[in-house]
Amino acid sequence: MAKVTQEMVKNAGVNIDELVELLIKNAAAELTTFYYYTILRVNLIGLEGEGIKEIAETARIEDRNHFEALVPRIYELGGKLPDDMKVFHDASACPPANLPKDPTDIKAMLTVLVKAERCAVRGYTHVCNLTAGKDHRTYDLCLAILNEEIEHESWFSEFLGEGPSGHFLRRGETSPFVSKFLR
Amino acid sequence: MDERRFTQSELGQFNGKNGARIYIAYQGSVYDVSGSFLWQNGEHQVTHFAGKDLTDELLEAPHGVEMLCRFPMVGRLKEGD
Repeated sequence: MAKVTQEMVKNAGVNIDELVELLIKNAAAELTTFYYYTILRVNLIGLEGEGIKEIAETARIEDRNHFEALVPRIYELGGKLPDDMKVFHDASACPPANLPKDPTDIKAMLTVLVKAERCAVRGYTHVCNLTAGKDHRTYDLCLAILNEEIEHESWFSEFLGEGPSGHFLRRGETSPFVSKFLR
Repeated sequence: MDERRFTQSELGQFNGKNGARIYIAYQGSVYDVSGSFLWQNGEHQVTHFAGKDLTDELLEAPHGVEMLCRFPMVGRLKEGD
């Protein structure tokens, strides 16, 4: 048990129970998004859909990585994942990224994707705000995840024609920010 | 139809507990967020609770107040309450 870790976080003024609950909710959001993005990705077909498939796949894999990176921190802080997968799903910090009624409507598909990423950006900003200068490890982890969620948002936003993302899709390995937590 | 007026105490009953609807207030207006996935059980992101005036908390939220436009306004807070 990471006794001193928890003590340091509590002594810094962080409500550790609230923080653990938030991390569990965000971990649930990541794993459920990984699942829902799987369905979105397989339905991204045709000339327009295929063009988005690669970034949808990158976002999907990185969301799974975020789940993997969050879990150890939840346990370090004295929390645990719910025993029941359905409870875990329903506790998600973000709504389900459901397949639109018409999966050939690429704008609808992109809207689902960008909404999911925006929810994640807000969620990790919230955790970073709560932990900044207090819980350095959780902050570092959530900042790394936030960096990737911001990139995901900008990719999908760019496809929606909201403006340029300012960067290109991943070259090489996924999770350039979070990978240090996965080793 | 007359606009419903809520005291703080009346608003507090709409806290999402035991099947109660989920209302929050912002700058005097009361909104019904019962339909939001993110307000299940009257709680939002662990740190915010329904049945309250969230004006100050919303100013610090990582989203704008335009989020409230998605939900029906169901009344106003009584002034001076």
